[in-house]
Amino acid sequence: MAEKPRLKVPKEAKKGEIIELKTLIAHVMETGLRKDASGAIIPRKIINKFTCEFNGKPVFSADIEPAVAANPYIQFNAKVDESGTFKFTWVDDDGTVTTTEEKITVA
Amino acid sequence: MKFNKCSAAFSLGVAGLLAVVAGGVMVFPTDALAQAKKKEAPLVTTGAASVTPWKRYSDWPQRDESKFNTLAKLASPPAPKEPKKISGPINGDAANGQKLVADRTRGGSCLACHVMGPAGNADLPGNVGPDLSEVGNAGREDEWLFNYVNDARVYNPETVMPPWGTHGLFNEQEINDIVAFLKTLKSPAKFRTVLDDPTKRPAPVESRDNLDDLQNPGMWMIEKAQDLWKVKGPTGSSCATCHANVAALKTWSVSMPKFEPRLDRVLGVEEFVYRHAKATTGADWLMQSNENTALAVYLRFISNGQPIHVDVSSPGAKAALARGKELSSRKLGQLNFACADCHDPSKAGLKWIRGQWLGEQKGQYDHFPTWRTSLQTVWDIRKRFQWCQVNIRADELPPDAKEYGDLELYLASVNDGLKMNVPGIRH
Repeated sequence: MAEKPRLKVPKEAKKGEIIELKTLIAHVMETGLRKDASGAIIPRKIINKFTCEFNGKPVFSADIEPAVAANPYIQFNAKVDESGTFKFTWVDDDGTVTTTEEKITVA
Repeated sequence: MKFNKCSAAFSLGVAGLLAVVAGGVMVFPTDALAQAKKKEAPLVTTGAASVTPWKRYSDWPQRDESKFNTLAKLASPPAPKEPKKISGPINGDAANGQKLVADRTRGGSCLACHVMGPAGNADLPGNVGPDLSEVGNAGREDEWLFNYVNDARVYNPETVMPPWGTHGLFNEQEINDIVAFLKTLKSPAKFRTVLDDPTKRPAPVESRDNLDDLQNPGMWMIEKAQDLWKVKGPTGSSCATCHANVAALKTWSVSMPKFEPRLDRVLGVEEFVYRHAKATTGADWLMQSNENTALAVYLRFISNGQPIHVDVSSPGAKAALARGKELSSRKLGQLNFACADCHDPSKAGLKWIRGQWLGEQKGQYDHFPTWRTSLQTVWDIRKRFQWCQVNIRADELPPDAKEYGDLELYLASVNDGLKMNVPGIRH
Protein backbone atom coordinates (compact mmCIF):
# COMPACT_ATOMS: atom_id res chain seq x y z
CA MET A 1 0.00 0.00 0.00
CA ALA A 2 1.10 3.52 -0.71
CA GLU A 3 0.00 4.70 2.72
CA LYS A 4 2.39 3.90 5.52
CA PRO A 5 0.88 2.09 8.49
CA ARG A 6 -0.07 4.24 11.47
CA LEU A 7 1.23 3.35 14.92
CA LYS A 8 0.78 4.64 18.43
CA VAL A 9 3.42 3.07 20.67
CA PRO A 10 4.82 4.77 23.79
CA LYS A 11 8.46 5.83 23.40
CA GLU A 12 9.22 4.93 27.02
CA ALA A 13 7.83 2.63 29.69
CA LYS A 14 8.66 1.35 33.14
CA LYS A 15 9.89 -2.23 33.54
CA GLY A 16 6.92 -4.56 33.75
CA GLU A 17 4.45 -1.88 32.64
CA ILE A 18 1.45 -2.88 30.53
CA ILE A 19 1.36 -0.56 27.54
CA GLU A 20 -1.27 0.04 24.92
CA LEU A 21 -0.39 -0.34 21.22
CA LYS A 22 -2.56 1.01 18.43
CA THR A 23 -2.08 0.11 14.79
CA LEU A 24 -3.89 0.97 11.59
CA ILE A 25 -3.15 0.13 7.98
CA ALA A 26 -4.83 1.69 4.97
CA HIS A 27 -6.48 -1.11 3.03
CA VAL A 28 -9.67 -1.56 1.00
CA MET A 29 -10.54 -4.91 2.69
CA GLU A 30 -12.57 -6.00 -0.33
CA THR A 31 -14.69 -8.89 0.91
CA GLY A 32 -14.96 -10.88 -2.33
CA LEU A 33 -18.75 -10.90 -1.87
CA ARG A 34 -19.58 -7.67 -3.67
CA LYS A 35 -20.46 -7.33 -7.33
CA ASP A 36 -19.51 -4.53 -9.68
CA ALA A 37 -21.91 -2.68 -12.01
CA SER A 38 -21.71 -5.47 -14.61
CA GLY A 39 -22.58 -8.15 -12.04
CA ALA A 40 -19.10 -9.66 -11.83
CA ILE A 41 -17.75 -10.51 -8.39
CA ILE A 42 -15.11 -8.08 -7.17
CA PRO A 43 -12.22 -10.37 -6.16
CA ARG A 44 -11.42 -10.68 -2.49
CA LYS A 45 -8.45 -8.62 -1.33
CA ILE A 46 -7.97 -8.31 2.39
CA ILE A 47 -5.24 -8.21 4.99
CA ASN A 48 -5.55 -11.80 6.24
CA LYS A 49 -2.94 -11.80 9.00
CA PHE A 50 -1.46 -9.36 11.45
CA THR A 51 1.42 -10.11 13.81
CA CYS A 52 3.39 -8.17 16.37
CA GLU A 53 6.78 -9.32 17.67
CA PHE A 54 8.97 -7.81 20.36
CA ASN A 55 12.71 -8.48 20.06
CA GLY A 56 11.86 -11.43 17.80
CA LYS A 57 9.35 -13.02 20.17
CA PRO A 58 5.64 -13.12 19.30
CA VAL A 59 3.45 -10.69 21.27
CA PHE A 60 0.15 -10.72 19.43
CA SER A 61 -1.23 -12.11 16.20
CA ALA A 62 -4.60 -12.19 14.51
CA ASP A 63 -6.12 -13.98 11.54
CA ILE A 64 -8.37 -11.46 9.86
CA GLU A 65 -11.56 -12.34 8.02
CA PRO A 66 -13.49 -10.50 5.29
CA ALA A 67 -15.94 -9.03 7.82
CA VAL A 68 -13.31 -6.59 9.05
CA ALA A 69 -13.89 -3.11 7.64
CA ALA A 70 -11.57 -1.05 5.46
CA ASN A 71 -8.44 0.37 7.13
CA PRO A 72 -8.23 -2.28 9.87
CA TYR A 73 -7.49 -0.79 13.26
CA ILE A 74 -6.03 -3.15 15.84
CA GLN A 75 -5.43 -2.18 19.44
CA PHE A 76 -3.88 -4.45 22.06
CA ASN A 77 -1.76 -4.43 25.19
CA ALA A 78 1.67 -5.81 25.95
CA LYS A 79 3.84 -6.09 29.02
CA VAL A 80 7.37 -4.79 28.50
CA ASP A 81 10.32 -5.93 30.63
CA GLU A 82 13.19 -4.62 28.53
CA SER A 83 14.07 -2.05 25.91
CA GLY A 84 13.67 -3.21 22.36
CA THR A 85 11.82 -3.09 19.08
CA PHE A 86 8.25 -3.93 18.21
CA LYS A 87 7.88 -5.33 14.71
CA PHE A 88 4.43 -5.18 13.11
CA THR A 89 3.54 -7.25 10.04
CA TRP A 90 0.48 -7.19 7.81
CA VAL A 91 -0.03 -9.91 5.17
CA ASP A 92 -2.16 -9.12 2.13
CA ASP A 93 -4.10 -11.78 0.15
CA ASP A 94 -1.93 -10.93 -2.85
CA GLY A 95 1.18 -11.90 -0.87
CA THR A 96 2.33 -8.38 -0.12
CA VAL A 97 3.89 -8.17 3.33
CA THR A 98 4.07 -4.77 4.99
CA THR A 99 6.29 -4.39 8.03
CA THR A 100 7.15 -1.53 10.27
CA GLU A 101 9.07 -1.18 13.52
CA GLU A 102 8.93 0.99 16.59
CA LYS A 103 11.50 1.22 19.39
CA ILE A 104 10.70 1.52 23.07
CA THR A 105 13.04 2.35 25.95
CA VAL A 106 12.34 0.63 29.24
CA ALA A 107 13.79 2.33 32.29
CA MET B 1 11.13 60.26 -1.85
CA LYS B 2 9.08 58.89 -4.72
CA PHE B 3 12.14 57.30 -6.22
CA ASN B 4 12.92 55.57 -2.94
CA LYS B 5 9.46 54.06 -2.69
CA CYS B 6 9.68 52.87 -6.25
CA SER B 7 13.03 51.19 -5.85
CA ALA B 8 11.89 49.63 -2.61
CA ALA B 9 8.89 48.14 -4.38
CA PHE B 10 11.02 46.81 -7.20
CA SER B 11 13.60 45.42 -4.87
CA LEU B 12 10.85 43.34 -3.30
CA GLY B 13 10.41 41.79 -6.69
CA VAL B 14 6.80 42.79 -7.12
CA ALA B 15 5.56 42.00 -10.57
CA GLY B 16 3.06 44.13 -12.35
CA LEU B 17 3.69 47.36 -10.42
CA LEU B 18 2.07 50.13 -12.34
CA ALA B 19 4.45 52.75 -13.56
CA VAL B 20 3.05 54.97 -16.25
CA VAL B 21 5.37 57.08 -18.33
CA ALA B 22 3.57 60.31 -19.10
CA GLY B 23 5.41 63.03 -21.05
CA GLY B 24 8.76 61.84 -19.86
CA VAL B 25 7.73 62.05 -16.21
CA MET B 26 7.21 58.82 -14.34
CA VAL B 27 3.86 58.85 -12.53
CA PHE B 28 3.84 56.45 -9.64
CA PRO B 29 0.81 54.79 -8.16
CA THR B 30 -0.58 56.08 -4.91
CA ASP B 31 0.58 54.47 -1.69
CA ALA B 32 -2.67 52.56 -1.31
CA LEU B 33 -2.49 51.11 -4.78
CA ALA B 34 1.16 50.18 -4.39
CA GLN B 35 0.27 48.50 -1.12
CA ALA B 36 -2.52 46.54 -2.73
CA LYS B 37 -0.30 45.48 -5.62
CA LYS B 38 2.41 44.35 -3.25
CA LYS B 39 0.03 42.08 -1.37
CA GLU B 40 -1.74 40.60 -4.36
CA ALA B 41 -0.98 36.93 -4.78
CA PRO B 42 -0.18 35.85 -8.34
CA LEU B 43 -3.11 34.01 -9.92
CA VAL B 44 -3.79 32.46 -13.28
CA THR B 45 -6.90 34.40 -14.25
CA THR B 46 -7.78 32.60 -17.46
CA GLY B 47 -9.25 29.17 -18.07
CA ALA B 48 -11.19 26.83 -15.80
CA ALA B 49 -9.92 25.52 -12.46
CA SER B 50 -11.52 22.10 -12.88
CA VAL B 51 -11.82 19.45 -15.57
CA THR B 52 -13.37 20.96 -18.70
CA PRO B 53 -15.94 20.09 -19.88
CA TRP B 54 -17.09 18.92 -16.48
CA LYS B 55 -18.07 15.25 -16.36
CA ARG B 56 -19.88 13.76 -13.37
CA TYR B 57 -17.85 11.37 -11.16
CA SER B 58 -18.15 7.89 -12.66
CA ASP B 59 -19.48 6.30 -9.45
CA TRP B 60 -22.34 8.80 -9.11
CA PRO B 61 -25.82 8.27 -10.62
CA GLN B 62 -25.67 9.23 -14.28
CA ARG B 63 -29.06 10.92 -14.64
CA ASP B 64 -29.95 13.71 -17.01
CA GLU B 65 -31.88 16.31 -15.05
CA SER B 66 -31.60 19.08 -17.62
CA LYS B 67 -35.38 19.65 -17.51
CA PHE B 68 -35.06 21.06 -13.99
CA ASN B 69 -33.51 24.06 -12.25
CA THR B 70 -29.83 24.11 -11.36
CA LEU B 71 -27.90 26.80 -9.54
CA ALA B 72 -26.96 28.15 -12.98
CA LYS B 73 -30.25 28.03 -14.86
CA LEU B 74 -34.02 27.99 -14.43
CA ALA B 75 -35.74 25.17 -16.30
CA SER B 76 -38.30 23.47 -14.02
CA PRO B 77 -41.91 23.32 -15.20
CA PRO B 78 -44.18 25.89 -13.56
CA ALA B 79 -46.46 25.01 -10.65
CA PRO B 80 -50.11 24.55 -11.60
CA LYS B 81 -52.21 27.62 -10.85
CA GLU B 82 -55.11 25.69 -9.37
CA PRO B 83 -55.85 22.28 -7.90
CA LYS B 84 -56.94 19.67 -10.42
CA LYS B 85 -60.70 19.06 -10.20
CA ILE B 86 -61.55 15.49 -9.28
CA SER B 87 -65.16 14.39 -9.66
CA GLY B 88 -66.22 11.42 -7.62
CA PRO B 89 -64.16 9.22 -5.31
CA ILE B 90 -60.70 7.99 -6.31
CA ASN B 91 -60.59 4.24 -6.69
CA GLY B 92 -56.90 3.40 -6.64
CA ASP B 93 -55.06 0.24 -5.69
CA ALA B 94 -54.19 0.75 -2.03
CA ALA B 95 -51.81 -2.22 -1.99
CA ASN B 96 -49.82 -0.74 -4.86
CA GLY B 97 -49.98 2.64 -3.10
CA GLN B 98 -48.40 1.11 -0.01
CA LYS B 99 -45.55 -0.17 -2.18
CA LEU B 100 -45.10 3.18 -3.91
CA VAL B 101 -44.83 5.23 -0.70
CA ALA B 102 -41.89 3.07 0.34
CA ASP B 103 -40.27 2.92 -3.12
CA ARG B 104 -36.83 4.40 -2.72
CA THR B 105 -36.17 4.52 -6.45
CA ARG B 106 -38.55 7.47 -6.83
CA GLY B 107 -36.49 10.01 -5.00
CA GLY B 108 -36.37 8.65 -1.48
CA SER B 109 -39.92 7.52 -0.75
CA CYS B 110 -42.65 9.23 1.29
CA LEU B 111 -41.22 7.62 4.44
CA ALA B 112 -38.17 9.87 4.09
CA CYS B 113 -40.28 12.68 5.52
CA HIS B 114 -43.47 11.11 6.92
CA VAL B 115 -44.38 8.48 9.45
CA MET B 116 -47.06 6.46 7.61
CA GLY B 117 -48.46 3.79 9.89
CA PRO B 118 -47.47 0.32 8.67
CA ALA B 119 -45.81 1.47 5.42
CA GLY B 120 -42.25 0.22 5.04
CA ASN B 121 -42.68 -1.54 8.41
CA ALA B 122 -42.31 1.89 10.05
CA ASP B 123 -38.58 1.37 9.60
CA LEU B 124 -36.74 4.63 10.40
CA PRO B 125 -39.23 7.07 8.90
CA GLY B 126 -38.40 10.79 8.91
CA ASN B 127 -40.24 13.71 10.49
CA VAL B 128 -39.85 16.58 8.04
CA GLY B 129 -43.57 16.40 7.22
CA PRO B 130 -46.51 15.56 9.48
CA ASP B 131 -47.18 12.02 10.74
CA LEU B 132 -49.73 10.63 8.28
CA SER B 133 -50.55 7.47 10.25
CA GLU B 134 -54.12 8.66 10.87
CA VAL B 135 -54.67 10.78 7.76
CA GLY B 136 -57.53 8.43 6.81
CA ASN B 137 -59.48 9.82 9.79
CA ALA B 138 -58.78 13.46 8.95
CA GLY B 139 -61.80 13.83 6.68
CA ARG B 140 -59.73 15.02 3.73
CA GLU B 141 -61.43 14.93 0.35
CA ASP B 142 -59.95 12.79 -2.41
CA GLU B 143 -59.36 15.89 -4.51
CA TRP B 144 -57.32 17.46 -1.71
CA LEU B 145 -55.24 14.32 -1.17
CA PHE B 146 -54.64 13.93 -4.90
CA ASN B 147 -53.50 17.49 -5.35
CA TYR B 148 -51.33 17.45 -2.24
CA VAL B 149 -49.35 14.53 -3.64
CA ASN B 150 -49.46 15.78 -7.21
CA ASP B 151 -48.22 19.29 -6.40
CA ALA B 152 -48.67 20.63 -2.88
CA ARG B 153 -47.78 24.13 -4.04
CA VAL B 154 -51.40 24.65 -5.11
CA TYR B 155 -52.30 24.75 -1.40
CA ASN B 156 -49.06 25.98 0.15
CA PRO B 157 -46.55 27.91 -1.99
CA GLU B 158 -43.95 27.60 0.81
CA THR B 159 -44.09 23.81 1.02
CA VAL B 160 -40.90 21.74 0.88
CA MET B 161 -42.83 18.74 -0.49
CA PRO B 162 -41.67 17.68 -3.96
CA PRO B 163 -44.25 18.16 -6.75
CA TRP B 164 -44.46 14.42 -7.39
CA GLY B 165 -46.90 14.69 -10.28
CA THR B 166 -45.79 17.94 -11.94
CA HIS B 167 -42.14 16.80 -11.92
CA GLY B 168 -42.99 13.37 -13.29
CA LEU B 169 -41.97 11.17 -10.36
CA PHE B 170 -45.40 9.51 -10.18
CA ASN B 171 -48.07 9.37 -12.86
CA GLU B 172 -51.76 10.03 -12.28
CA GLN B 173 -52.68 6.37 -11.72
CA GLU B 174 -49.84 5.97 -9.23
CA ILE B 175 -51.01 9.04 -7.34
CA ASN B 176 -54.53 7.57 -7.29
CA ASP B 177 -53.05 4.41 -5.75
CA ILE B 178 -51.18 6.46 -3.14
CA VAL B 179 -54.40 8.35 -2.29
CA ALA B 180 -56.21 5.03 -1.90
CA PHE B 181 -53.51 3.89 0.52
CA LEU B 182 -53.58 7.16 2.49
CA LYS B 183 -57.32 6.68 3.07
CA THR B 184 -56.61 3.33 4.77
CA LEU B 185 -54.30 4.95 7.37
CA LYS B 186 -56.34 5.13 10.57
CA SER B 187 -54.16 4.11 13.51
CA PRO B 188 -50.86 5.30 15.00
CA ALA B 189 -47.67 3.71 13.72
CA LYS B 190 -46.25 0.83 15.74
CA PHE B 191 -42.48 1.20 16.00
CA ARG B 192 -40.36 -1.85 16.61
CA THR B 193 -37.75 0.13 18.54
CA VAL B 194 -37.75 3.56 20.09
CA LEU B 195 -35.11 4.66 17.55
CA ASP B 196 -37.57 4.04 14.72
CA ASP B 197 -39.74 6.85 16.06
CA PRO B 198 -38.25 10.07 14.67
CA THR B 199 -39.72 12.15 17.49
CA LYS B 200 -37.78 10.10 20.04
CA ARG B 201 -34.60 9.47 18.04
CA PRO B 202 -31.73 11.49 19.55
CA ALA B 203 -29.75 13.82 17.26
CA PRO B 204 -26.40 12.29 16.31
CA VAL B 205 -23.31 13.51 18.14
CA GLU B 206 -19.89 13.18 16.49
CA SER B 207 -17.55 12.26 19.32
CA ARG B 208 -14.51 10.89 17.51
CA ASP B 209 -11.28 12.84 17.69
CA ASN B 210 -11.06 14.09 14.11
CA LEU B 211 -7.45 15.20 14.55
CA ASP B 212 -6.27 11.69 15.53
CA ASP B 213 -4.76 10.02 12.47
CA LEU B 214 -5.79 6.60 13.77
CA GLN B 215 -9.42 7.69 13.88
CA ASN B 216 -9.53 9.97 10.87
CA PRO B 217 -7.78 8.91 7.65
CA GLY B 218 -8.47 12.46 6.44
CA MET B 219 -5.45 13.37 8.56
CA TRP B 220 -3.24 11.44 6.14
CA MET B 221 -3.78 14.27 3.68
CA ILE B 222 -1.62 16.48 5.90
CA GLU B 223 1.54 14.46 5.25
CA LYS B 224 0.75 14.31 1.54
CA ALA B 225 0.38 18.08 1.46
CA GLN B 226 3.58 18.63 3.44
CA ASP B 227 5.42 16.59 0.81
CA LEU B 228 3.72 18.45 -2.04
CA TRP B 229 4.68 21.74 -0.38
CA LYS B 230 8.34 20.97 -1.12
CA VAL B 231 7.93 19.51 -4.61
CA LYS B 232 9.28 21.82 -7.30
CA GLY B 233 6.86 22.53 -10.14
CA PRO B 234 7.70 23.16 -13.80
CA THR B 235 8.99 26.66 -12.97
CA GLY B 236 11.52 25.27 -10.52
CA SER B 237 9.71 26.75 -7.52
CA SER B 238 7.75 24.97 -4.84
CA CYS B 239 5.21 26.26 -2.33
CA ALA B 240 8.08 26.37 0.17
CA THR B 241 10.07 28.76 -2.05
CA CYS B 242 7.84 31.65 -0.93
CA HIS B 243 6.04 30.07 2.03
CA ALA B 244 8.84 28.47 4.03
CA ASN B 245 7.07 29.56 7.19
CA VAL B 246 3.71 27.83 6.86
CA ALA B 247 2.54 29.20 10.20
CA ALA B 248 2.41 32.67 8.59
CA LEU B 249 -0.64 31.42 6.69
CA LYS B 250 -2.45 30.54 9.91
CA THR B 251 -5.25 33.04 9.45
CA TRP B 252 -5.51 32.87 5.69
CA SER B 253 -7.98 30.05 5.14
CA VAL B 254 -10.49 31.38 7.69
CA SER B 255 -10.79 34.49 5.49
CA MET B 256 -11.73 32.33 2.49
CA PRO B 257 -13.73 32.27 0.29
CA LYS B 258 -12.98 35.76 -0.91
CA PHE B 259 -14.25 37.94 -3.73
CA GLU B 260 -11.45 38.31 -6.25
CA PRO B 261 -11.78 41.42 -8.46
CA ARG B 262 -9.27 40.09 -10.99
CA LEU B 263 -11.65 37.24 -11.80
CA ASP B 264 -14.89 38.97 -10.79
CA ARG B 265 -15.85 35.95 -8.75
CA VAL B 266 -15.54 34.39 -5.32
CA LEU B 267 -12.55 32.08 -4.87
CA GLY B 268 -12.59 29.33 -2.30
CA VAL B 269 -9.41 27.73 -0.97
CA GLU B 270 -9.53 24.99 -3.61
CA GLU B 271 -9.85 27.26 -6.63
CA PHE B 272 -7.24 29.62 -5.17
CA VAL B 273 -4.81 26.72 -4.74
CA TYR B 274 -5.17 25.81 -8.40
CA ARG B 275 -4.85 29.36 -9.76
CA HIS B 276 -2.03 30.38 -7.42
CA ALA B 277 0.05 27.21 -7.85
CA LYS B 278 -0.37 27.38 -11.61
CA ALA B 279 0.88 31.00 -11.60
CA THR B 280 3.86 30.36 -9.31
CA THR B 281 5.18 26.80 -9.33
CA GLY B 282 3.39 25.87 -12.55
CA ALA B 283 1.80 22.84 -10.86
CA ASP B 284 -1.46 21.70 -12.42
CA TRP B 285 -3.53 20.93 -9.34
CA LEU B 286 -7.05 21.07 -10.76
CA MET B 287 -9.93 21.18 -8.29
CA GLN B 288 -10.96 17.66 -7.16
CA SER B 289 -7.49 16.27 -7.89
CA ASN B 290 -5.90 14.50 -4.92
CA GLU B 291 -3.19 17.15 -4.76
CA ASN B 292 -5.70 19.98 -4.67
CA THR B 293 -7.77 18.35 -1.93
CA ALA B 294 -4.65 17.55 0.12
CA LEU B 295 -3.52 21.19 -0.05
CA ALA B 296 -7.02 22.39 0.82
CA VAL B 297 -7.06 20.14 3.90
CA TYR B 298 -3.59 21.29 4.94
CA LEU B 299 -4.19 25.01 4.48
CA ARG B 300 -7.30 24.79 6.63
CA PHE B 301 -5.66 22.43 9.12
CA ILE B 302 -3.04 25.05 9.94
CA SER B 303 -5.91 27.47 10.69
CA ASN B 304 -7.54 25.08 13.15
CA GLY B 305 -8.89 26.94 16.15
CA GLN B 306 -9.10 30.25 14.28
CA PRO B 307 -12.59 31.74 13.91
CA ILE B 308 -14.07 31.79 10.41
CA HIS B 309 -14.47 35.36 9.26
CA VAL B 310 -14.99 36.22 5.60
CA ASP B 311 -15.09 39.66 4.02
CA VAL B 312 -18.61 40.60 3.01
CA SER B 313 -18.08 44.36 2.96
CA SER B 314 -16.40 45.09 -0.39
CA PRO B 315 -18.90 45.90 -3.15
CA GLY B 316 -18.03 42.73 -5.06
CA ALA B 317 -18.38 40.58 -1.94
CA LYS B 318 -21.67 42.22 -0.99
CA ALA B 319 -23.15 41.45 -4.38
CA ALA B 320 -21.83 37.87 -4.28
CA LEU B 321 -23.25 37.35 -0.79
CA ALA B 322 -26.66 38.56 -1.95
CA ARG B 323 -26.52 36.19 -4.92
CA GLY B 324 -25.40 33.32 -2.69
CA LYS B 325 -28.25 33.91 -0.27
CA GLU B 326 -30.73 33.96 -3.10
CA LEU B 327 -29.26 30.76 -4.60
CA SER B 328 -29.61 29.05 -1.23
CA SER B 329 -33.37 29.49 -1.57
CA ARG B 330 -33.62 28.44 -5.20
CA LYS B 331 -35.63 25.26 -5.78
CA LEU B 332 -33.47 22.76 -7.65
CA GLY B 333 -33.90 19.52 -9.51
CA GLN B 334 -36.69 17.02 -9.90
CA LEU B 335 -37.27 16.91 -6.14
CA ASN B 336 -37.50 20.70 -6.09
CA PHE B 337 -35.50 21.35 -2.93
CA ALA B 338 -33.60 24.51 -2.07
CA CYS B 339 -30.59 24.41 0.27
CA ALA B 340 -32.74 26.24 2.80
CA ASP B 341 -35.56 23.68 2.50
CA CYS B 342 -33.40 20.97 4.06
CA HIS B 343 -31.03 23.00 6.23
CA ASP B 344 -33.03 25.93 7.61
CA PRO B 345 -34.57 25.05 10.99
CA SER B 346 -37.76 26.92 9.96
CA LYS B 347 -38.12 24.27 7.23
CA ALA B 348 -36.63 20.74 7.41
CA GLY B 349 -33.40 21.68 9.19
CA LEU B 350 -32.72 19.82 12.47
CA LYS B 351 -35.16 17.07 11.50
CA TRP B 352 -34.82 13.52 10.25
CA ILE B 353 -34.93 12.58 6.60
CA ARG B 354 -35.38 8.86 6.99
CA GLY B 355 -32.38 7.82 9.16
CA GLN B 356 -30.31 10.88 8.31
CA TRP B 357 -30.15 14.06 10.35
CA LEU B 358 -30.41 17.32 8.44
CA GLY B 359 -28.00 19.77 10.04
CA GLU B 360 -28.57 23.51 9.90
CA GLN B 361 -26.34 25.76 7.77
CA LYS B 362 -24.33 26.87 10.78
CA GLY B 363 -21.96 24.00 11.44
CA GLN B 364 -21.90 22.81 7.81
CA TYR B 365 -18.67 24.57 6.87
CA ASP B 366 -16.07 24.60 9.64
CA HIS B 367 -15.10 20.92 9.18
CA PHE B 368 -14.70 20.84 5.38
CA PRO B 369 -12.83 19.19 3.72
CA THR B 370 -14.10 16.27 5.73
CA TRP B 371 -13.48 12.51 5.85
CA ARG B 372 -16.60 10.58 4.86
CA THR B 373 -16.64 7.31 6.74
CA SER B 374 -19.37 5.91 4.48
CA LEU B 375 -17.30 6.55 1.35
CA GLN B 376 -13.75 6.26 2.69
CA THR B 377 -12.70 9.50 1.07
CA VAL B 378 -12.24 13.21 1.71
CA TRP B 379 -14.76 15.65 0.29
CA ASP B 380 -14.28 19.39 0.02
CA ILE B 381 -17.25 21.74 0.29
CA ARG B 382 -17.68 21.97 -3.49
CA LYS B 383 -18.02 18.21 -3.83
CA ARG B 384 -20.54 18.31 -0.98
CA PHE B 385 -22.51 20.96 -2.91
CA GLN B 386 -22.36 18.79 -6.02
CA TRP B 387 -23.62 15.72 -4.19
CA CYS B 388 -26.48 17.65 -2.58
CA GLN B 389 -27.64 18.52 -6.07
CA VAL B 390 -27.24 15.08 -7.62
CA ASN B 391 -29.03 13.66 -4.58
CA ILE B 392 -32.07 15.90 -5.13
CA ARG B 393 -31.97 15.00 -8.82
CA ALA B 394 -30.51 18.21 -10.14
CA ASP B 395 -27.53 18.53 -12.46
CA GLU B 396 -24.46 19.67 -10.56
CA LEU B 397 -22.13 22.44 -11.75
CA PRO B 398 -18.36 22.18 -12.24
CA PRO B 399 -16.51 22.61 -8.91
CA ASP B 400 -15.22 26.05 -9.97
CA ALA B 401 -18.66 27.36 -10.94
CA LYS B 402 -19.19 31.01 -10.04
CA GLU B 403 -22.50 30.10 -8.40
CA TYR B 404 -20.72 27.77 -5.96
CA GLY B 405 -18.40 30.64 -5.05
CA ASP B 406 -21.41 32.82 -4.23
CA LEU B 407 -23.06 30.02 -2.28
CA GLU B 408 -19.85 29.20 -0.40
CA LEU B 409 -19.42 32.85 0.58
CA TYR B 410 -22.97 32.89 1.95
CA LEU B 411 -22.42 29.63 3.83
CA ALA B 412 -19.13 30.87 5.28
CA SER B 413 -20.82 34.09 6.42
CA VAL B 414 -23.50 32.04 8.20
CA ASN B 415 -20.68 30.12 9.90
CA ASP B 416 -18.92 33.32 10.97
CA GLY B 417 -17.18 32.90 14.31
CA LEU B 418 -17.12 29.11 14.29
CA LYS B 419 -13.62 27.76 14.76
CA MET B 420 -11.93 25.91 11.91
CA ASN B 421 -11.72 22.18 12.63
CA VAL B 422 -10.30 20.35 9.60
CA PRO B 423 -10.29 17.60 8.49
CA GLY B 424 -13.68 16.78 9.93
CA ILE B 425 -15.15 13.33 10.15
CA ARG B 426 -18.72 12.59 9.11
CA HIS B 427 -20.84 9.64 8.03
